[in-house]
Amino acid sequence: MRTNRAEALALVLPAALFATAIFLVPVGILLSEAFRSGGTWSVDAYFEFFSQPLNQTVFFRTLKLGVLVTAVSAVIGYVAAFCIVGLEPRNRGRIFGLVVLPLMISPVARTYAWIVILGRTGIVNQAILGLGISDTPVRILFTETAVFIGLLQLFMPLMIISLVSAMENLPRDAISAARVLGANWLQVFLRVILPLTREGLVIGGTLVFTGSLTAYITPAILGGAKVLMLETLLYQRVTVANDFLSASVIAMILIVMSFSANVLLKRVATSRRGGTP
Amino acid sequence: MNRTWTSRLVIFLTLAFLIGPFFVIIAAALSGGNSLAFPPQGFSLRWFIAVFEVKSFRASFGLSMFLAVFGTLAALLLGVPAAYAVTRYRIPFGEAVRMAVAAPIIVPGIIVGLALLRYLVVPIGMTVTVALFLAHTALVLPYAVRVVAASLENLRPDIEEAAVLLGCTRFGAFRRTVLPNIRGGILAAFILGFVTSFNQVPVSLFLSGPGVRTLPIDMLAYIEMTYDPSVAALSALLAFLSIGIVFAAERFLGLSRYV
Amino acid sequence: MSDGYVSLEALTLAYGRSVAVDRLDLSIRRGELLALLGPSGCGKTTTMRAVAGLLEPRSGRIRIDGADVTRTPPNRRNVGLVFQSYALFPHLSVFENAAFGLRLRRDSKSGVESRTRAILATVGLENLAGRNPSELSGGQQQRLALARSLVMEPKLLLLDEPLSNLDARLRLEMRTELQRVQIETGVTMVFVTHDQSEALALADRIVVMRDGAVVQTGTPEEIYNRPRTAFVADFVGFDNIFSCREGMLVSDSGSVDRTGNVPDSGALAWRPADVVVGSGSLRGRVVASSFAGQHREYVLESPLGRIKAQVPAGEPAHPIGGEVAFALPPGKAHPLPDDGG
Repeated sequence: MRTNRAEALALVLPAALFATAIFLVPVGILLSEAFRSGGTWSVDAYFEFFSQPLNQTVFFRTLKLGVLVTAVSAVIGYVAAFCIVGLEPRNRGRIFGLVVLPLMISPVARTYAWIVILGRTGIVNQAILGLGISDTPVRILFTETAVFIGLLQLFMPLMIISLVSAMENLPRDAISAARVLGANWLQVFLRVILPLTREGLVIGGTLVFTGSLTAYITPAILGGAKVLMLETLLYQRVTVANDFLSASVIAMILIVMSFSANVLLKRVATSRRGGTP
Repeated sequence: MNRTWTSRLVIFLTLAFLIGPFFVIIAAALSGGNSLAFPPQGFSLRWFIAVFEVKSFRASFGLSMFLAVFGTLAALLLGVPAAYAVTRYRIPFGEAVRMAVAAPIIVPGIIVGLALLRYLVVPIGMTVTVALFLAHTALVLPYAVRVVAASLENLRPDIEEAAVLLGCTRFGAFRRTVLPNIRGGILAAFILGFVTSFNQVPVSLFLSGPGVRTLPIDMLAYIEMTYDPSVAALSALLAFLSIGIVFAAERFLGLSRYV
Repeated sequence: MSDGYVSLEALTLAYGRSVAVDRLDLSIRRGELLALLGPSGCGKTTTMRAVAGLLEPRSGRIRIDGADVTRTPPNRRNVGLVFQSYALFPHLSVFENAAFGLRLRRDSKSGVESRTRAILATVGLENLAGRNPSELSGGQQQRLALARSLVMEPKLLLLDEPLSNLDARLRLEMRTELQRVQIETGVTMVFVTHDQSEALALADRIVVMRDGAVVQTGTPEEIYNRPRTAFVADFVGFDNIFSCREGMLVSDSGSVDRTGNVPDSGALAWRPADVVVGSGSLRGRVVASSFAGQHREYVLESPLGRIKAQVPAGEPAHPIGGEVAFALPPGKAHPLPDDGG
């Protein structure tokens, strides 16, 4: 490690100044806007925002979908990661590649596929009609279910990746040792796997939750105007009503939610470490 | 049922959920009919051809390509020295600097786009294209720093000292010993940055003007107007493009080592 | 083969398509300390994992104390296993590691406490109960792994290369420790090792394995003094092994006529210490010579290839590069009837 300050600053400053000028300053001004409504510093804009029933609905819906997507992807993620880690190294690499692959593909393309699957004449409805479960097509598109499915598909790979890396770092034979000592699979999960992969769960959980909160494309395509989420609401407020105050409030809410999710998950992960001596 | 088979079934179902929709979209794009449907009505490549005839797609594809290539290059120009500083120096206010560089990952893209529109484009009169370029550069910057820093961390710092002792200048030592060894990392960062920028939507949402739209935004707009399979065809083409790039990168560079 | 306390009958084990153990028969007596000895890849660890229930056999049977446990999951076998890596739980304290199995059994709280304390005292870790496993030395980790298994009072305790991760001094200490614990608790123990001196020093009985099959079973004395194949002989220090054909001693590099002194088939083996250097009918060139305190070791290049010899240090030394006479005395030859070399 070298300590030459001038050299170090010369190398790092262009990037830092650029990020500050393009990101921090404009975003900072935008965030402060809600506190400066009416010429003085106040939090009135927040009260105003939350007094609208629509805004409340959208806020809680966003929170609910974020939590739900995170929880479901954690459950599926653990099962999938456990199976993937159990594969031979060669196959593990291949399957891992297939899990990562969707992340590289345009989210528009990824989300658009669900229109074909969930639409009025989509695959699911054809199956429902064909099997005689219902006489009329079921409305799936433009419901919370559709948004949930779209978000789950979009962000689950992040959870699986985090959990696979965490599980690969489990101490060798820890699971076998627990089995031999009398643990059934549920006990193995609760007493060995979960405590030892908490960090992976925190990383994956934060990525999935933050991603779900701030996704625009999925609620826009699969939810439309019927199932607004904070991000689509922000866009609508700005484009339809030039309402920059609401935009500023929503921006702050999104940032605060992402940060608190991270902090909360970290606390869960670090609590109850070790046992009674 | 045998444990191996249970595990294979789980993996298959998970992958079916994650990747299955692409096969659906490819099938839908191969349809001969006029509206989006599955199973496709007849087989035809007409929508794949139709995509190229949509004028706005050609323009927005060009813009997205430009942003992805030059935005990422600009990010590397800023990011490689920063990554070098982060891994080789004790930086004053290191944590603050790191935060500033990483900020674009943390802040939701839509907010960034809106902020740029309100405080750069409107008051200064900056063109939307320039704002898009700056936004995409900043967006890719954290990835560039992280990936290049990761490959610098895998490189022993003393090879540079050895080169200096053998008569190189400081910059010469960097160019002759460090750069050749982190070429893979830089290329990986470029690909990751390219894909991130090319697929980016929220940042670009507010940053569009007459005739200036990135491809994903254009696709979103097109979806709202029409229901024909051309977007499916375009999605399939883009998917193949991404898969091809990533596959080639993995094959020749081992991209996954850097990400 | 079903008379033993633990018996493996025609056990076949495989990973995917590669068969690691092929139709293995093995019987273990109650209360004995048995060593599974063999080079890496011979199937000894695989066998052990199967006995613990961590690997499902392709075919064959495993019985413990009369009960067929072939399809019993590992958590219901009550077989202890001390892993080569120890596999201690890094998120739990020393005490909680030792108490892990008891807590799963939902024993009473005070019962768990007292039994865990007692077992930690047995292995000398009672003062470190509150530490993390990572704060323990290699020998202490080993003893914690042992305690964690012993506290369950397993019907059978398996140890995978128990001494391989310890330095030479600790290794001697743990040998005595293992023997003491075994005598104190009377538990039936099976340990896997690739180190013949470990097996010879510790075990009541040794099973030598090669390529997934048993090649010889016997007491340490039997294995050491009467190996039946060149493979086992090589393992217990017969460094000079030659096959016999029509009165000739044959090696890869040549042969020597010894009519009248060698059988028509099989093989003969000599330990280095039994080779006579300085006189005899054979001649060789000294290619290496090293002093080892009590004795001096030579490597001779001869018509039979390389010969390893060991002579008392008091004898005059032969220079490297010089010619020297040597003998393979017929009286010291050890016959290997089961083997052609």
